[in-house]
Amino acid sequence: MQASQPAFFKQGPKPLTRFFLFSTLSICLIVGDANYQMLGPVRQQLSVLLYPLQWLVTAPFELIKDTSTFLSRQAELLGENRKLHDAQLVASVNAMKLKALEAENARLRLLNTIQASQPSQLTEILYNGRDPFSARLIVDRGERSNIKEGQIAVDASGVIGQVVRVQPMTSEIRLISDRNHMVPVQIERNQLRTVIYGMGRGLPLEIRNMSSNSEIKEGDTLITSGIDGLYPAGLPVAKVFKIERNTGNAFARIYCTPLAGIDQHRFLLILDANQAAAPYPSNASDVGAIKKKKGR
Amino acid sequence: MPISRQLLRPVSSSFILFTFVLSLSINLLPWQAGLIGFAPDFVALFIIYWTLNQPRRIGVGWAFFLGLLMDVADGNVLGQHALAYTVIAYLTLARQRQLAVFPFWQQAFVALALMLIGQVLMLSLRMLMGAPFPGWAYFAGCCVAAFIWPPLSNILLSHQRRPTTEEL
Repeated sequence: MQASQPAFFKQGPKPLTRFFLFSTLSICLIVGDANYQMLGPVRQQLSVLLYPLQWLVTAPFELIKDTSTFLSRQAELLGENRKLHDAQLVASVNAMKLKALEAENARLRLLNTIQASQPSQLTEILYNGRDPFSARLIVDRGERSNIKEGQIAVDASGVIGQVVRVQPMTSEIRLISDRNHMVPVQIERNQLRTVIYGMGRGLPLEIRNMSSNSEIKEGDTLITSGIDGLYPAGLPVAKVFKIERNTGNAFARIYCTPLAGIDQHRFLLILDANQAAAPYPSNASDVGAIKKKKGR
Repeated sequence: MPISRQLLRPVSSSFILFTFVLSLSINLLPWQAGLIGFAPDFVALFIIYWTLNQPRRIGVGWAFFLGLLMDVADGNVLGQHALAYTVIAYLTLARQRQLAVFPFWQQAFVALALMLIGQVLMLSLRMLMGAPFPGWAYFAGCCVAAFIWPPLSNILLSHQRRPTTEEL
């Protein structure tokens, strides 16, 4: 290389010179950076230079990520919402169950106290009778458990009905509200005997054939009289809630509500059959003492 | 095709700059951790390419500057890439007249060797400073780079090639 070279050939310092220059510079940088940490400002300046590039490169990925997270969040939230909704339903159902269980527990305790005083069997109601015209219940005890026709079903507060049909595993209970079901009762207050009739599912009970001037008041409690030999005496049956004394009618219309929750519980007691009641008198003179048999 | 057999259009500086920006961007891409070893160092590749084909424009100085940028981008010791790229660029320049007439597949081997030298340089530098050996996958990128050298050269040259009709 001579001094008279044309400009075209002038390339500045030779590559080797540059190489030494820059490699020395690099090594200085390495040492300066690694050992003395004095190149922070340089790094900062260069990173400012580099930042747009970094942003440019990472932005699409971030965008994709954001979009996908947005979309997935949407789907996720929807799913989560649905799940939470379900969970809430389940929770409320559980809460209701808890309440029901508490109530049931209380009732069972009551039944238990009754059972202690009277020999009886605890049964669970399986379902309501399917016949819409009669008020019947199907319970889970039957012939296998020595249930017999005519046994009385009670709950903690009163008479529910009477076993009318027995299958091996189940039995059918006719509620006292069933139409024309009769229970011999007496008024607790004054021991006035009468018979209470069912009028149909969901309807009040009725006392028929009581003269308008008979001594009965709203609020009177009716208990079984025990006269028919089926219902043991002293079980609460119903409470009088309305008396219509109509002058055009010989009899008062007396409506009563059953004391027992006849369409409320899941458990009820079936009282054991009465210990052999005294045989029916065969004398005609004693016939008056016989009231109606069980009201079937 | 080696450059010398053809008449090529001049390369605009902006194109060179663009390729460097592109290579930096590719290097800055958020590579997967498992793939990071296999990602070829595109900046080094382009430095070799341009020092080979445009030795009057791109040389040791550019290599040094790009190396600095790479150091900052990678968060390495400042000067590590700069040194490696400087060495690579110098070696390329020293043999430029010879290498420029090689067919692409031979150039690919040269590129592989150069990049290996650069990586070995960086590796020894880091290990001198107490870093652990990162595993052989560290060198996988060089091989990938060698594989993509011929197509890459073709693509970049196609920008410079004149249409054949004009040539006649």
